[in-house]
Amino acid sequence: MVKKIMVVDDDPGVIFTVKHGLENLDKDYKITTVNSGRKCLELLESGEKPDLILLDIMMPDMSGWETYEKIREKISNKKLPIVFLTARTDRIAKNAGGFLAEDYIEKPFKVPELKERLDKILKK
Amino acid sequence: MRLKINFSISLKITFMVIIVSFISICSIAIINLPSIEQDEYILEAQYDKAAALIHDINVSVGSYDQIKNFSRLTQIIYDFNSWNENILKTTINLVNDDDKLTVFASSDKNLTNKSSQQYTRNGVEYNTICYMGNHTYYIPYIEEKPPILVILSPINRSGTTIGTYEITISLEKAQQYLTKTSDEKVKNIVLLSTIILFVLIFSFLFLLRKVIVKPITTFRDTAKIIGKGKLDTKVDISSRDELGELADAFNQMAKDLKESRDKIQDYTQILENLLDRKDEFIGQLGHDLKNPLQPLIGLLPVLIEKEKDPETKEALQIMNKNAEYMRDLIFETLQLAKLRSADVKFDFEDVKLREEAEGCVDSQKLLLKEHKITVDNKIADNITVYADKLRLVEVFKNLISNAVKYMQEGGGKITLDAKQEVDIVTVSIQDTGIGMTQEQLKKMFDEFYKADRFSSEYQSTGLGLAICKRIIEKHDGKIWVDSPGLGKGTTFYFTLKNKTKNN
Repeated sequence: MVKKIMVVDDDPGVIFTVKHGLENLDKDYKITTVNSGRKCLELLESGEKPDLILLDIMMPDMSGWETYEKIREKISNKKLPIVFLTARTDRIAKNAGGFLAEDYIEKPFKVPELKERLDKILKK
Repeated sequence: MRLKINFSISLKITFMVIIVSFISICSIAIINLPSIEQDEYILEAQYDKAAALIHDINVSVGSYDQIKNFSRLTQIIYDFNSWNENILKTTINLVNDDDKLTVFASSDKNLTNKSSQQYTRNGVEYNTICYMGNHTYYIPYIEEKPPILVILSPINRSGTTIGTYEITISLEKAQQYLTKTSDEKVKNIVLLSTIILFVLIFSFLFLLRKVIVKPITTFRDTAKIIGKGKLDTKVDISSRDELGELADAFNQMAKDLKESRDKIQDYTQILENLLDRKDEFIGQLGHDLKNPLQPLIGLLPVLIEKEKDPETKEALQIMNKNAEYMRDLIFETLQLAKLRSADVKFDFEDVKLREEAEGCVDSQKLLLKEHKITVDNKIADNITVYADKLRLVEVFKNLISNAVKYMQEGGGKITLDAKQEVDIVTVSIQDTGIGMTQEQLKKMFDEFYKADRFSSEYQSTGLGLAICKRIIEKHDGKIWVDSPGLGKGTTFYFTLKNKTKNN
């Protein structure tokens, strides 16, 4: 079963880590990467249908929060899981994980741990 | 307990004036009280009176022939006696044929025709005709009780002494009168002094109020206004005395204070701006430091798993360990910085202590097993503390992993316990590890301090305990460490508040 993941992050290091790491660990993972919220929305509007979105919070131009709101507004699939990536350890980020999005993952993360988390969410 | 009463200056000075005046009045009264010289004084008065009386009676008695008329003389003596109430007895002694003095006429009839009484003073006998001469003799205090004065005076007719007048005067009334007068005198003095005292006190208080109390009140009110921050307020006292100088100094002080405060306010403003920027900076720094680490932290475990060549695998493992250490260092430094900032928020709630401690132990099960360490959780089930749950867990984790770090090879035991007092709970975490010297104990909570700097280079950041300290301090608690010495284990203690309803 193919697992299509879309990664939204302005940091090429993060994008590379997720794409390279996940595809290496599990051949079923198909990773699409974009480097801004705007591009993410464009891609979704053009018909792209990921199984899960990994969304960075701190991005220039359009933040992760904003992108999240717009995805929820525009995309018909209300059940599409969105997982935040955050470098912030404070409570705001943790609360965000609890209330707004399906989950959050703190940077820097280990790819095997990331895979474990994603597998769990995708199973539901 | 010491009772503290505040007296105003006027009250204190009034007390002082009253005490001083009271002492003065007492002294004046004592000086004026009837003294030992009183007796002499009475006598002096009575001598003068007696001289006048004797003159009167001598005139009444008349010539030598008239003296011989007994009934007439007796009448004179009676009249004389009854007119002068102080005279107890009046007697006329005459020289008889045998040249002896006998009582011729007396207010005391029993004495008539008896020989006259002899009086002795200072060893000299009086009332013997040959000694009388022309003088009047006063013989005071023949008897003590009642006090009397006897006066003898010769009766001279045609150049010869034919007898004596003997008048016994009671001193009792005179003495009473004198005592009464002196009592009244004292009373008057006291009354007068009291009136003067009150006049003095009131005028003194009036002056005191005008000269000292009022300026002081002005100082007090101004100081209060200045205390509220209005530093440009001035004391308006222009008198050219010490108070005026004080006012000048006071105003100068307020001026200096204002300048200092303005400077401090400027600096505070700068600091506040810096602090605001610092928080922003820390957040940004976290982001900027963590992102570059992402490929290392993220991919090294994947590479290690896939790597077949043992040498490359070891190199990758070392790289991974260092990357993880760097990540821990960043996390903990950021956490410490965050805890240090004033606006860090804590979510306090009632937390079951044993449950949280148990959870921490569970989460570190693998690590404990690896080091062959057993944990004995003696914390009682019913202890609830008022704390930030997530941060309390952090404290437990740090202290347990710290205990693990300093455990001796071959394993050991960690004992968790808590003692509940009225409103605080003291938690203890005791290990059977390498223990610590006094020197090490002192530095334990310093940032970046490592008890064993070389061997644990990449195992701990040295920030864990500093973080614990900040967390506990934000709980209004205390954290401290104790060790009986090297090789004898270490015990960490910290205090938390009891659950809310007890606070």
